[in-house]
Amino acid sequence: MVEDVLGNLSVAVVEGDTAQTIATIDVALKEGIQPNDILTMGLFPGIRKVGELFNAGEYYLPELIVSGKTMQAAVNHLNPFIDKKSSQKVGKYVIGTVTGDVHDIGKNIVIMMLRSNGWEVTDLGVDIAPEQFCEAVKAGDFDILGLSALLTTTMHVLDETIKALEDAKLRDRIKIMIGGAPVTQKYADKIGADAYGRDAWEAVTKAEALLPRKS
Amino acid sequence: MTKLSGVERMLKALSRQEPDRVPHFDVHNKKVREAILPDASYEEFVEHMDLDGIMVLDKVNAWSYEVVDESKNIKRDQWGALVRYTAEDLGVPIQFAIHSQRDLDGYSMPDPDDPKRYKWLQEVVKRFKGERAIMAHATDVFDIAKESFLGDEAYFEAIVNNPELVDHVNKIVLDYNLRYLKNCIEIGADIVLISGDYAMTHSLFVSPKHTARFLTPSLARMVELAHSLNVPIIKHTDGNIWKIFDLIVDTGVDGIHPIDPMAGMDIGEAKQKYGQKICLCGNINCGETLCWGTVDQVRKEVKECFRKAAHGGGYICVSSNSIHSGVKPENYVAMVKAIRDYGNYPIQLD
Repeated sequence: MVEDVLGNLSVAVVEGDTAQTIATIDVALKEGIQPNDILTMGLFPGIRKVGELFNAGEYYLPELIVSGKTMQAAVNHLNPFIDKKSSQKVGKYVIGTVTGDVHDIGKNIVIMMLRSNGWEVTDLGVDIAPEQFCEAVKAGDFDILGLSALLTTTMHVLDETIKALEDAKLRDRIKIMIGGAPVTQKYADKIGADAYGRDAWEAVTKAEALLPRKS
Repeated sequence: MTKLSGVERMLKALSRQEPDRVPHFDVHNKKVREAILPDASYEEFVEHMDLDGIMVLDKVNAWSYEVVDESKNIKRDQWGALVRYTAEDLGVPIQFAIHSQRDLDGYSMPDPDDPKRYKWLQEVVKRFKGERAIMAHATDVFDIAKESFLGDEAYFEAIVNNPELVDHVNKIVLDYNLRYLKNCIEIGADIVLISGDYAMTHSLFVSPKHTARFLTPSLARMVELAHSLNVPIIKHTDGNIWKIFDLIVDTGVDGIHPIDPMAGMDIGEAKQKYGQKICLCGNINCGETLCWGTVDQVRKEVKECFRKAAHGGGYICVSSNSIHSGVKPENYVAMVKAIRDYGNYPIQLD
C-alpha cells in the first residue's frame, strides 16, 4: 500500500500533474508515511525519471519545465512536515551566467533540477563578472560553482573566470562545472573545468559525482 | 558559363541548380568588418567583398525601440518586452510583454505598415537591386512569441498546460510577420530568410509532435506568402535538427541554413538525404575554425563543404551562424577567397 502511494507520487511528478501530486502527498501523510520517505522514495524517483526521459530524448523542455514546477510545488507543500535535522541537503551549489551574457533559461532549468534533487542552490543571476564569482566563492561555503555561457561570443569568459579564481587563490576551494549551448567537453578540458554538463540532467548527475563519497 | 549577377547566382542555387559559381552571403559583426575595411559603410563592405546577397535584419533595421534606461542599456522592444544589451551588443529580453490573459486581451500589435521600418530596405534596394540579392530577414514566430511575449519558461509551460495561449500569441506575431514580409517583397526583397532556432546543440526545444503543432505551421504560412509573390525563402535554425528535418522541408522552404556543425550536423549527410528537395546553406564552422583555426584550415574546410554539398548546385556557402565578433578577420577573408578559388562550376577540388 505504501509502495502504491509512493509509486503514484512518482508517476504524478513524471506527468507534471501538480494537483495530483499534492493530493497524493496528502494521502501519503494521512496514511502515516514519513515526510522524508515521501520526498526520497516518492518525489525524488519521479524527478529522476523525468531526467532520464529528457536524457533519452523522450522529454523536451516543455515536459521538463512542467515536471520541475510540479516538483517545486510538491517540495513546498511537504516542507512544513519535513524534519529539518534528518533532511540534509545533498550539497551547496552556486551558479551564474558569465559577463556579457544575459541568457538564463539554461541556468534556470539546471537550478530547478538541482533543487528538485536535493541541492541548496544560490543563483547569482546573469551577466556576472569574474570578480563577482570570486567574491561569491570567497564568501560562501559552496561545493560547486556552475558557470553558464549561452553564446559562442561569451564562451571565452568561462576561461577568464577560472583564471580569476586561480589568481585569487580560490580555485582549490571549489569544483567548477560549465555548461551552455556552445560549450563542449573538449572546451571544458581545455580551460581546466572539473566537469561539463551537456544538459540539466547531466548537470545533476555530474554534480553528484564531484562530491566526495560518503563512507 | 556566362557570369551571373549575385542575385541570379543566389536564386539559381535556391532553385537547386548550378550557378556559375557557389554563392556566398553572411551576417557580419561591425568589429570584423572594420578590421577588414576600416571606416566603410556596410554597403561598401558588401561591395568590397563582392557578396552575392545583403541581409536586412528585422531586429536591427526595422523594429522600433524605446530607450528605458540608457546607463544599463535597456530598451523596450516593439512587442513590449524589456531588452538588455550586453557588451557584445546582443539584445536579450529580461522582462516580457505578456504576464496575464488581461495583458493579452488588451494587446495591440505594432504597426507593420509604419513606413519608418522600411527606410534602410529602400536604400538597399535602390543601391543593389538587380545586382545582389536583397534578403529580407524576419524573426520566427516561435522566437518572438517565446522571447518577447511570454518568456521561455512560460511559453514552454503553456505548450503543455495552455495551448490556446500559445496559439493566440503565435497568431499575433504571424499576422505581423506576414504583413511585414509582404511589404518587404513589394519594396523589392528578392529572398526571405527566417531566423529563430528550433533546436539546441544536443536536443530540440520541443518534441517533433509539438514542433509540428506549434512551430512549423507558422513557417508554412510565411512560405506560402513568399511563394505567392514568387520569392524563395530560407529557414535558419541552429542545433541538431535531424528529428525535424522532414517537418521543415515539408513546409516548402527553398533553403535551410546553417546545418550546424557544432551540433553534429553533417552537410554531406544532409545533401544525400535532402539535396533533391532543398538548397543547403552552410556550414563553415564559426564556433571553432573561423575563430581559432589557421587560414589553411579555413581553406580546407571550405573545400570539404564543397566536396560534400556543392555538386549539382543547390548550395550556398555561408558560415555556420554568422561572422560574429570572435571570428578572426583574416579567416573570414580566407573563407571568401577560398569560395572564389574553388567555387566555379564545374567544381574541381583536386
